Amino acid sequence: MNHQGNLLALFSVSRISFAVLAAAFTLLNIYGPSYAQPAPGLWDGLYTEEQASRGQTVYRASCTSCHSEDLRGNSNAPSLIGMSFMFLWETRPLGTLFEKIQAEMPTENPGSLSEQSYLDVLSYIMQVNSFPAGIAELVADMDKLNQVVITPKPAQ
Amino acid sequence: MKIKIAISIAALLGSLGSLAQVDNYTPVTKDMLHDPDPGEWLNWRGSDSSWGYSALDQITTDNVGQLQLVWSWALDETGAIQAAPLIHDGIMFIPVPRGVIQAMDAATGDLIWEYRPGITAAIDGSTDRALRVDDLGSAAMSQTAFAGVGRGVQKNIAIFGNMVYAATENASIVAVDASTGLLVWETPVADPAMGYHYTAGPIIANGVLVTGITGCQRYKEDVCFITGHDPLTGEELWRTDTVARPDAPGGDTWGDLPLQFRAGSDAWMAGSYDPDTNLVYWGTAQAKPWARAVRGTDGAALYTNSTLALNPDTGEMVWYYQHLPGETHDMDETFESILIDIDGRKSLFKMGKLAILWQLDRTTGEIINATDVGYQTIVRLDPVTHEVTYRDGLIPRIGEEVDMCPSTSGFKSWRSMAYHPQTSALYIPITLNCELATFGPTERVLGGGGAGPVRRINYHHPASDGNLGELLVLNVPGGDVKWRYRFRAPFNTAALTTAGGLVFIGDWDRTAHAFDAETGEKLWQARLTTSLQGFPISYMIDGKQYIAMPVGTGGASWSSQLPRELAPELRRPRNGNSIHVFALPE
Repeated sequence: MNHQGNLLALFSVSRISFAVLAAAFTLLNIYGPSYAQPAPGLWDGLYTEEQASRGQTVYRASCTSCHSEDLRGNSNAPSLIGMSFMFLWETRPLGTLFEKIQAEMPTENPGSLSEQSYLDVLSYIMQVNSFPAGIAELVADMDKLNQVVITPKPAQ
Repeated sequence: MKIKIAISIAALLGSLGSLAQVDNYTPVTKDMLHDPDPGEWLNWRGSDSSWGYSALDQITTDNVGQLQLVWSWALDETGAIQAAPLIHDGIMFIPVPRGVIQAMDAATGDLIWEYRPGITAAIDGSTDRALRVDDLGSAAMSQTAFAGVGRGVQKNIAIFGNMVYAATENASIVAVDASTGLLVWETPVADPAMGYHYTAGPIIANGVLVTGITGCQRYKEDVCFITGHDPLTGEELWRTDTVARPDAPGGDTWGDLPLQFRAGSDAWMAGSYDPDTNLVYWGTAQAKPWARAVRGTDGAALYTNSTLALNPDTGEMVWYYQHLPGETHDMDETFESILIDIDGRKSLFKMGKLAILWQLDRTTGEIINATDVGYQTIVRLDPVTHEVTYRDGLIPRIGEEVDMCPSTSGFKSWRSMAYHPQTSALYIPITLNCELATFGPTERVLGGGGAGPVRRINYHHPASDGNLGELLVLNVPGGDVKWRYRFRAPFNTAALTTAGGLVFIGDWDRTAHAFDAETGEKLWQARLTTSLQGFPISYMIDGKQYIAMPVGTGGASWSSQLPRELAPELRRPRNGNSIHVFALPE
């Protein structure tokens, strides 16, 4: 299949569109057809070490009082780590977790942190649950976040 | 353990300088606590018997519609408000989140003093603290150190002699000079790094400071407890376990679980006291993890979900009654004990999350009666023995969904019911809800455990017509319904009854209500800044009766998850911790 030809058939007179399409063309040439490539998952590294470190700082300031420093929670705040966390979140989209944290936390002042802080906290939660860091920071792209399903580590 | 003791009041007074203080403070005596002046509010629920009742009758069913705001005061936005203020000598003592106590002129709303943990000076002038941030281990929040460590809810405080007493989020008990707010002593009681903390404060029983700990859900080489302390010195006099250890009587009710896996039985609501029986009555919470299948025993798990009767002088457990043996759905029975004599028989009434009204003989612990309000779908209640058994298929298995009413939030929670002696009825804040619940596993390792995860899908109770809130009024002792008032939002405060024939309560949707206690007719309401939350009180100064309503956000399910999911059209400000005081016009 000639992907290059398909893209050129969609060519627009706009120079900007041309540039975008040219870039897409290049990417497709490098990575092959997008439908054959699964979206990056949690085990591919969706955040950076630095971001998780920032998230830890936010967590300690805004989350520890209910969820505890070790993330095991208390009676009214669920554990965010280990098998209890996976029981609640396995098979669910990362985007759902992000939206829940952003909309409902901290419980006495929900939505009071910046979007970046929520992303950083989510990165920290991923880190403590042994999901690996990567080279790019987690960003608030809901389409992408909703495609990421929380799953146990795949068999090697 | 380091204890600070006030030795020289004279030296203190000389060093106070310009610090505001209460003039002509009258020490609180045992007699004053047992037979309180109707104008005062010396106990978190107004009296030893925890009726939540004011004998003041200036505000009546005829004039309550004229109530006006007299003063209001913003409280720290550092955590959840669930305040039960006290009134003595015209001063309102308010428990504020994270250990702060403020003393206000209760007639004008002027601040007299405030105690801030780690900041307010000690009465002997020392700066050496009994509890250092390094001692707090993983419970410490380095940014805020003493002023903001841990969980922060402070429901009630106690007053006795010259001091105000509080139990902290760092699992210590403090005594603050009632005239100045200066720290007199602080006694660490348990290790906050193990999860221990307080959300309820002490009561005074026969001159002993009795306090129940919480945060007992982690696996550790220790169990939950209630303590007695010397109010003058802070010395611990006794400690009574609320969990039966393996080698103690009742130890076999946890099966063969070793000590470290016997968690829960938190004593997270303050109790009541009867000077005639000289017994303290205290409720305990459910076992942790919540589900039998997760905690690894289907035994009764003494002394969880029980009412305990303790001798306040020794801590001896004179009797116990376990309401829900081997409880397995997070159905707490830890709430307030209301002491009422019925035809001369000393009784104790209480209600847990299942909305079963229990009547115990408070001398012997014998069960007298139990009335199922009829909302719950989890247990059967034997009409003769009043024992509960689980309905078919209702004992959760790990990973299998259970359809249950109420949800794990309960029909009843810490929003205490009130008794009205003229109507002989209990006024009970209820939240109607159900849940599809799937209980999950926890790690059985030291430091692990906890309540256990629950996948929950909340839904409206079939009988609720879409309402979450209900003020349920039950006749005493029969338990039959006198009247009920339903409301879209959860009722989010304790109830307050007054001799003016009234019951006051506040809801999540910012409204303070007054009802005719006899008929249920709504007579007054006021829309406030955010959710009402805490324990309303009434008091009198210079011949004027006041109603104080605490307001605030934070807090668990009734105040967050349930309205957010089941009444999403209701909106409230995300902050607004405060107290609002009302009276009739001049």
